Amino acid sequence: MTASTDSVVNGMPVVAVAAGESLNRSIVIGKEEPKDCFLHVVMAEDSHLDLSVIVLPGASSRVNLQVDMEGPGAEAYISGIYLCPGDERVSIRTDVNHKVHHCVSRQLFKGIAGGTAKTDFYGKIVVAQDAQKTEAYQENHNLLISDAARMDTRPQLEIYADDVKCSHGATVGRLNEEEQFYMRSRGIPEREAMVLQMLSFISPVISHIPDLQTRENVSAIAETAIRNIGMSE
Amino acid sequence: MDVNTEKNILEDITQKEYEHGFVTDVEQEFIPKGLNEDIIRLISAKKDEPQWLLDFRLDAFRKWQKMKVPDWAHLDIPEIDFQDIIYYAAPKKDSDRPKEIDPELAETFEKLGIPLHERAALAGVAVDAVFDSVSVTTTFRQALSEKGIIFCSFSEAVKEHPDLVRKYLATVVPTGDNFYAALNSAVFSDGSFCYIPKGVRCPMELSSYFRINAKGTGQFERTLIVADEGSYVSYMEGCTAPMRDENQLHAAVVEIVVEKDADVKYSTVQNWYPGDAQGRGGIFNFVTKRGICKGAGSHLSWTQVETGSAITWKYPSTILKGDNSSSEFYSVAVTNNFQQADTGTKMIHIGKNTRSRIVSKGISAGRSQNSYRGLVKMLPGADNARNFSQCDSLLIGDRCGAHTFPVIENANRTAVVEHEATTSKISEDQLFYCNQRGIGPEEAVGLIVNGYAREVLSKLPMEFAVEAQKLLQVSLEGSVG
Repeated sequence: MTASTDSVVNGMPVVAVAAGESLNRSIVIGKEEPKDCFLHVVMAEDSHLDLSVIVLPGASSRVNLQVDMEGPGAEAYISGIYLCPGDERVSIRTDVNHKVHHCVSRQLFKGIAGGTAKTDFYGKIVVAQDAQKTEAYQENHNLLISDAARMDTRPQLEIYADDVKCSHGATVGRLNEEEQFYMRSRGIPEREAMVLQMLSFISPVISHIPDLQTRENVSAIAETAIRNIGMSE
Repeated sequence: MDVNTEKNILEDITQKEYEHGFVTDVEQEFIPKGLNEDIIRLISAKKDEPQWLLDFRLDAFRKWQKMKVPDWAHLDIPEIDFQDIIYYAAPKKDSDRPKEIDPELAETFEKLGIPLHERAALAGVAVDAVFDSVSVTTTFRQALSEKGIIFCSFSEAVKEHPDLVRKYLATVVPTGDNFYAALNSAVFSDGSFCYIPKGVRCPMELSSYFRINAKGTGQFERTLIVADEGSYVSYMEGCTAPMRDENQLHAAVVEIVVEKDADVKYSTVQNWYPGDAQGRGGIFNFVTKRGICKGAGSHLSWTQVETGSAITWKYPSTILKGDNSSSEFYSVAVTNNFQQADTGTKMIHIGKNTRSRIVSKGISAGRSQNSYRGLVKMLPGADNARNFSQCDSLLIGDRCGAHTFPVIENANRTAVVEHEATTSKISEDQLFYCNQRGIGPEEAVGLIVNGYAREVLSKLPMEFAVEAQKLLQVSLEGSVG
């Protein structure tokens, strides 16, 4: 964290990652304030970013992440989990701007909604005209576990350079019945099967957190939250 | 490829003329420029319309006056002066032989490859040919009517089948739906009407061919297709316009009603004049196309190949209302030079077990901008509904743009929506592979692009597939970088 400088522009905290340095940050949003998360990261040459945001049950929040890649060779991994089993309103917005060539960005966001929760994911990738050899990937997967919940997703790709590899994938679906059957036929109770499915659903985000201590903390918090969802459903 | 050959090829293409850019010299009748209630009354009077239709037009016009030009698309649209457009232009009928087709017009359509004679060799396709604001002729009407199928121009349908037209008109696209749909509802001139009765399988392809000819005009056609219970029809649409430095507006509305167990296949090959290499001129193609799968088990399939138009704003959509109904959307959109396209689809799932599939292939070259915009919406009642969307973009050249803007809204726990999109360019490996085997760069790109678009082209009716494949090659020739 020493290599980054923080400032605030237009009410949005700006973090600059200097050339060749790396920044790891995990943000957990719980019931207590503040519930919103705004962050703008500016990345210099060959810098590295690992950013994850975990929104826990009970938090109606807005998450707004902007990452500008201003130096060639910058690499960003941006991920998030949002768990909304009640009446939460969660909106996630990411803006990844590839302004120069040879940068890589990967995004992975996973959400679970139950109760009467509403979630909205908006993820935009802009690749500027001369940002050749860009690699930009984005995935957003959502699980709907109740009839009254609603999940929207709007992945957006705006590409002005030709020598790029970009893709996005988005799904909204339910817990796989075949997986459930597999576990239940082996003596795992229905509720536990659901919990295991949800845990494995979010695990790719958690297992990517680089710092061991943070990873274990986040993993424990997320597991408790999911077990509680499993109880209430 | 070395820089020189690339340059030569590019020069070739810029000199290549739009094949259908000629003007037919025929005496035409115009109404004055501008848009107001008197103009609408005049259009209605010219077409000898009943009062209810005039009221329909006026109601739409009043709604339109209160509406704003939509600006949410990823398009740079110059301001359009709606008072500077002639809303009705028709070739004059020879008073001596009012029943016959003007040979000049027949020749025009012949030149475009659309024969107006019912020849045995082309017995597979019935054509409704629309020239500016009027339908010139509709072929095979007799043969079709023996099966109870109605296929005629919209104006004739209003006179001969007013009950059917009144029952279905504006039930899928309401007059106030959007800015251009409202404009169309107020001033629409001609188009096709098609009704397939219960249980009838239409024996031939039905097709409409739209031609803009007159200067300073816009074309506002209206098409209504009704497939009654258990029927089947395949409908094709084609269009061209002369080369001009001015932009011309084309704002159409297409409505499709698919009743229980009926099946409709709607294909478009859109080849309006795209403007020249400097981006001058071309057609503004702002159309609203929507179908409703009204009954259980109904099916609607859209296939489009978009190569023309300076600006395209088009989202053929399906409302899946009937249980177990299904719909597909297959699209290839090619933009070159300064063309802009914002196109895609909307799939609204209302009924149970509804299915939809979207396959969109965008190809951008030159300085063009090509966007896919789509909506997949699962309403709370859409139990077990399923959608899969795939949108791929291919970039040719480093000054063009490819964009993907899908929206997914899911409010049903059992519904599953999947979307994936990729953007890439033709890889050097692919080109090298072809070159190594003696296939030149031009041909190799043609091969790769055709392979890329194959999934969509294979869905076109045979009569169209050949034309579309040629069109794709012409549109992209020389844009290899």
